[in-house]
Amino acid sequence: MEKSKRISYSQAINDATSQAMKMSKDVIIMGQLIDYSSGVFGTTSGLINKFGEKRVKDFPAAESLMTQAGVGAALAGQRVLLVHIRIDFMIYSLDSIVNWLSMWRFKSNRESNVPVVIRAIVGRGWGQGPQHSKSLHAWFAHLPGIKVAIPATAFDAKGLLLESIFSEGPSIIIEHRSLFNLKDIVPNRPYRVRYGKAIVRRKGNDVTLVAIGCNVIDALKAAKILKKDGIDIEVVDPRTLTPLDRETINKSVKKTKRLVVVDPGWESFGAASEIITSVTTRQNLHLISNPLRITLPDSHTPMSLALEEKYYINAQKIVNKIKKLLKK
Amino acid sequence: MKKFSHKNISKIGKYKIKIPKRFDKKLANRLFRFMLRLRICELYLEKEYHPADQMKCPVHFCVGEEAIPAVLNELLIEEDFLFSHHRSHGYYLAKNAPMKKLFAELYGKSSGANSGIAGSMDLSYTKKNFFAGAILSGAASIAIGAALSLSLKPKSKAIAVTGFGDGATEEGLFWETINYAGLKKLPILFICENNNYSTYAPQSKRQAGMSIAERVRSFGVDSKQVFGNDVFIVYQELKKAITKARKSRTPFLLEAFTYRQSSHVGPPNDEKVKYKSKKEIKFWKKNCPVALSERVLLMKNFLKKTDINVIKSEIKKEIKSCFDYAKNSEYPSLNSWDDLNLSHNSPLADKLLLDLDKTDFDIEQQTEVSKGF
Ligand SMILES: Cc1ncc(C[n+]2csc(CCOP(=O)(O)OP(=O)(O)O)c2C)c(N)n1
Repeated sequence: MEKSKRISYSQAINDATSQAMKMSKDVIIMGQLIDYSSGVFGTTSGLINKFGEKRVKDFPAAESLMTQAGVGAALAGQRVLLVHIRIDFMIYSLDSIVNWLSMWRFKSNRESNVPVVIRAIVGRGWGQGPQHSKSLHAWFAHLPGIKVAIPATAFDAKGLLLESIFSEGPSIIIEHRSLFNLKDIVPNRPYRVRYGKAIVRRKGNDVTLVAIGCNVIDALKAAKILKKDGIDIEVVDPRTLTPLDRETINKSVKKTKRLVVVDPGWESFGAASEIITSVTTRQNLHLISNPLRITLPDSHTPMSLALEEKYYINAQKIVNKIKKLLKK
Repeated sequence: MKKFSHKNISKIGKYKIKIPKRFDKKLANRLFRFMLRLRICELYLEKEYHPADQMKCPVHFCVGEEAIPAVLNELLIEEDFLFSHHRSHGYYLAKNAPMKKLFAELYGKSSGANSGIAGSMDLSYTKKNFFAGAILSGAASIAIGAALSLSLKPKSKAIAVTGFGDGATEEGLFWETINYAGLKKLPILFICENNNYSTYAPQSKRQAGMSIAERVRSFGVDSKQVFGNDVFIVYQELKKAITKARKSRTPFLLEAFTYRQSSHVGPPNDEKVKYKSKKEIKFWKKNCPVALSERVLLMKNFLKKTDINVIKSEIKKEIKSCFDYAKNSEYPSLNSWDDLNLSHNSPLADKLLLDLDKTDFDIEQQTEVSKGF
């Protein structure tokens, strides 16, 4: 058995960063206010004391430049971790991500690779409102040339961050802040969770429920409730959207003949649509019911608690939708 | 002339070029040769570009802007990084990247600098730390990162250099870049080739306030304006700036006033837009970097007419062989779109990280909604 401890998602990120910086002097981290004790919800606290200001760089509110600087530093030998306390601020760096970072390997015919990792945090609840709750994972999964991870557990958060930092290419890790306090058993030693490797979090025979990011927990809770009604759910967590492990999802759907995707993004042109399309158009899976996507409405997030409850997905909503699907 | 602007430069009439005292003769001749090679290279490329239309990518030629690349070719070392904007050929050659691979790139051939995948604007040559890109101000901002990384290496003498036009300085990103260079005192050299035009629009129609050189100074970035077609002055200024940047690791911006004789993009036919006056075209042609230095080198007897003819025929021979190389090369083939875009290898992760996985997760714990403060 690996030595491990029960720590939160945010502690796991901190742990991974600290280990990576210890293992390789090339690793540097940049982001706004990362060197204060609050440390981006605890994910960067203490790094400044261990590694100093040369490697732990508080950055001005210049998000475009920060990402570009990441590319340049990577070219000159660094492994760069960029932190955005809110994904919404990262949008200023879309030019850098779309026009430079994601194209870099392609343009050089694979000769030049830039190990830049972007951590982008998505807020949720407590009146985060329209500004701080956009889960834009589908945007980046649409873009060639950049890996996209969306870890749901502390174990995956650590393993995927370490894998990203020590891999060749650029990646974006979408972190849902509602997961930051959730605890999990996390090995002490540095380990990897590979991209493109989904995980079956719960085995079942009646429905394949693919769940993304913060909705993984909701899906597992829903599965537990449905079990009482004799409905046996298989929960698959893709963990990374680029690359997407279509094989694992396919295998599950072949068994259950039903596919439901729960996705914390907007409905149209989203990750749920892609998963359903790519699984069902590859071969005839002889599905018993139409595939179903459970997503956010095509709307920005309201601030008011009353509307927030209507807007977000929770375990009970998933239960109701799946029951309805099975009745048909 | 103290302060430069395109308006007051064209009043000079005939620029009096001088070779500075004790300027090395071989160096002067090398600078001239580089400029002549770049000039002939671009003229021949322009000629072959259209109507043959076999180079099927947008190309921004740099006829008239040869001085800066020639000087960089002299002053840069192998380890320096050079980041260029879309008008990339001069900078590419400045880093001693092979001319034949530039030609092959333009023809979209597998033997091109980027295997024919990137084209003229996004040209790069990784082995020589040379990288270009089309999005304005991108090159300058990426150079910041290279400078940042170099500043972490106490023994390194290398610097980051970036070349761009006056147009790039209109981007917000440019000022984020200048602010950071000034704030962190990074070893970075900004070279603004001010050719007055962003496509067709003159600087006065686009930019408020003081000159570019003055504005960067308010961020703590030292700067200088020069007549950018005088290769000897450009050499002296860049030599000072680069020596200082190597030693004291500080940023500098050179605003070099110059002129693009080529069209903004493509074949030399954008005169029909009538955005340049006949008078200015005449002035800048007469005072282009190649003509000015040729005149003074002959006068000083650094070179003879016959020497120049020999150089010209050598260059033309080289260029012919570059065309042959490019035209006879194969088009690229494709193994996998996926691999071309994304690397799935992680050699370092293989070395450093354990393979572990687990499925279980405790779902009984409460998801605590974090407050927004
Ligand atoms: C972000 C962005 N906006 C617009 C363009 C289109 N564009 C290409 S070159 C150019 C002119 C740039 O002028 P300058 O920077 O002075 O360089 P020059 O072409 O004169 O060498 C423009 C506007 C671009 N490449 N990138």
